[in-house]
Amino acid sequence: MSTLPKAAPATSRWDRAIDWVDDRVNLSELFSFLTHFGLIYTPIDTKRPLRDVLHQVRTTPLESYARWPHILGLLTALLFGLEAVSGILLAFYYQPTTLSAYDSTRSIVRDVMLGWLVHHVHMWGSYLLCGVVLVRMLRLFWDGLYKAPREILWFSAVGLAWLVIQLDFTGLLLPWDVKSYWAAQRGLEIVWSLPIVGPLFSTLVGGRTMSEDVLNRFYVLHIIVLPLMYLGFVYLTFATMRRVGLSRIAGAVPKLTTFRRHVSDLIVITLLLFAGLVTLATLMPYQFHGAADPYQTPKGTLPPWYMLAPYALFQLPIPRWIPGLGLLAVALALPFLPAIVKGAGERLDEKRLRMAGLGVFGLWLVLSVLGALVDRK
Amino acid sequence: MSALGKGMGMIRRVMALALLLLPLAFLASTSAHASARKTADGKVTRASGRCGSCHPDERVAFEKSRHAGEEMHCTSCHGGNDQTVDEAAAHSGPNWRGKITRAEDPKICASCHSDETRMQPYDLPVDQYDLYQTSGHGKGLAKGDGKVAVCSDCHGSHEVLSAHDPSSRTYVTNIPRTCGTCHGDSTLVRERKLKDTYHEYLGSVHAKSLFDKGNLKAPTCVSCHGVHGASPSDIRNVNKVCGRCHTAERRYFQAGPHAAAMAAKQMAECSSCHGDHGIAPSETARLATSCVKCHAKGSKDEVLGATLLATYQAAEDEIRKAEALVAKADAVPLRTEDYKARIEEAHTYLREALTAAHAVSPEGMSGYTERAKSVGEEIQEELKSKLQNITVEKIFLLVFWFYVIVTIGIIRRFRDADAEVVK
Repeated sequence: MSTLPKAAPATSRWDRAIDWVDDRVNLSELFSFLTHFGLIYTPIDTKRPLRDVLHQVRTTPLESYARWPHILGLLTALLFGLEAVSGILLAFYYQPTTLSAYDSTRSIVRDVMLGWLVHHVHMWGSYLLCGVVLVRMLRLFWDGLYKAPREILWFSAVGLAWLVIQLDFTGLLLPWDVKSYWAAQRGLEIVWSLPIVGPLFSTLVGGRTMSEDVLNRFYVLHIIVLPLMYLGFVYLTFATMRRVGLSRIAGAVPKLTTFRRHVSDLIVITLLLFAGLVTLATLMPYQFHGAADPYQTPKGTLPPWYMLAPYALFQLPIPRWIPGLGLLAVALALPFLPAIVKGAGERLDEKRLRMAGLGVFGLWLVLSVLGALVDRK
Repeated sequence: MSALGKGMGMIRRVMALALLLLPLAFLASTSAHASARKTADGKVTRASGRCGSCHPDERVAFEKSRHAGEEMHCTSCHGGNDQTVDEAAAHSGPNWRGKITRAEDPKICASCHSDETRMQPYDLPVDQYDLYQTSGHGKGLAKGDGKVAVCSDCHGSHEVLSAHDPSSRTYVTNIPRTCGTCHGDSTLVRERKLKDTYHEYLGSVHAKSLFDKGNLKAPTCVSCHGVHGASPSDIRNVNKVCGRCHTAERRYFQAGPHAAAMAAKQMAECSSCHGDHGIAPSETARLATSCVKCHAKGSKDEVLGATLLATYQAAEDEIRKAEALVAKADAVPLRTEDYKARIEEAHTYLREALTAAHAVSPEGMSGYTERAKSVGEEIQEELKSKLQNITVEKIFLLVFWFYVIVTIGIIRRFRDADAEVVK
């Protein structure tokens, strides 16, 4: 222990208290672990005492990412944090059985103090998270941020997008409301139509149709499995960023700021985000449509919005596995975009690639609109 | 060990043999079961005796019937001797009757079914034959009409089944078709100048209730016309017949002006508006539209009908508005169980109002419509104020934003505190 470097002499009772704990627990290591999920990205020597580390952190100028367009990455982590907190509160009351799911959700909104706020904030948070993740992917693509050395950043961005969609899909079913139930049922039918993956996934979640098993497994996926994977990808994103740095327009000089300002900005953004969610939750609350009835499909039942494009494709008069295979190919190719682009040739025409990407996105939008119109006859 | 092994082998062989013989034993037992039982003196004890040797179809039908299990034999109706296959011997004897004509059919059935001593164990009535004589069918038969219905037309001849048996022609859901065999036969009804009442009935609300909803209490032909004493209802009796089930409607109708006026003019009361066999479901619009069937257009009677309809619809409207608010409250969600129960109650008043409308008196009906209306209005008022409470949250939102902005201001001061230090 004596070989460890000593911190500057303690000047206050607070410093002495920190030193007392630091002599017994490696606080620097703990701090370093926390910063792995964002906050700062100054290299930290975990062998040094915490007070030294903190001093170093405070005095080293850093490039803040609480600014557009880097804020998109930050929001994917912040919103996830808010979803996690509100989700845990909801899990205190929610009962994942077909008999009590709907009533327990209603009871959260109606009877639990501020339950409505937590529930609606959780719902709006998921909408925002979907949007943020999608915009972030588009932005990374548009600015070519999948090229070396940022391949892993792109990979984790796609991973986050997939996880958000799965989190939304599994969460959608949980209220067991008639609308969400049938949307999830339509979604499950689409997943089932994907070759190989479909049957595998459907078997994993307990069948092709909604049941107690499916509800339970969706719940476990929603609150344990998928969030842990999401956390892994958030870590990967920040770990990559600590190595390759923030993206910047070629030739631009990095704008440095202090740690204090950076943290203040983070707090302000979190506060604004929370206030925005509270506002949305109050002005546009979730609407209940009645408990799900497996024997009655309501009119105008559609899958969730991110599945509208496949839904439109599946209306074509060809075997479903053909569009299914196409979708699967696109989904699997997306994270490996850097490798594919690299293989295409030494010098790639960035403009043409952008246009191709835009074309695919446009096609997806058109298909989604068509999918939304399928049942309006 | 080897001795034991030998013993086991032996047991196995015996068991294999037993297994081989099992199907044979089964065959033997079933064939013994299938053949008619014979007593020691060679008498065949089955219901159809030996008649089935030459009349296999009749034998099969009869053996399935309710009669076969109740000490009835072919000879009970047809006479003769059922213990011989010799035609001459079988078709002879003091009580030999042979094929039964339509004319003698009711009498033969009555020989048992009018006998209280015989019917008492089965708890069956014994008045069917007397009732039949009073019916249109019975009277026709007495006049020598060979085409009117006799017992076997409805009950079957050999294949008589209990009316409780769903495959019986006299089971409640089969009765319309049984009557319809003649009353829905286009040639027959044209010949006899009758209405095709069977097909009319099929379109009625009664038939829908019976067939589509499976309501076994729904009226069939016999509910109004009688079972064995089948006869058309007298015009003056229509309201009594309908009133057997629609008791409240009849009560209101008789309290109203129509009862005496229609009786004086020999008009069929209920069926003048509702039809007879093809009774349509009750539609509220008919409160106004059926008046002009008899009353002049533009007369005060037509205006009265329109007033009834308007009164009813005003109440219905309030309930509909209340229901829309309940749905809105359900989506929030607020507690709505109590409101739903009260709406149910309002619907009951509305239903009662339609019944009361048979007295054709706006004052009499408004007692119910007013109650329904006031329940609807009360619910609307209460729910509107409850839903408005939600706007209070929006005021809290403003306060919340005020604090958020203040907090951000404080943080900004903290943020810029070390601006000089870094420079």
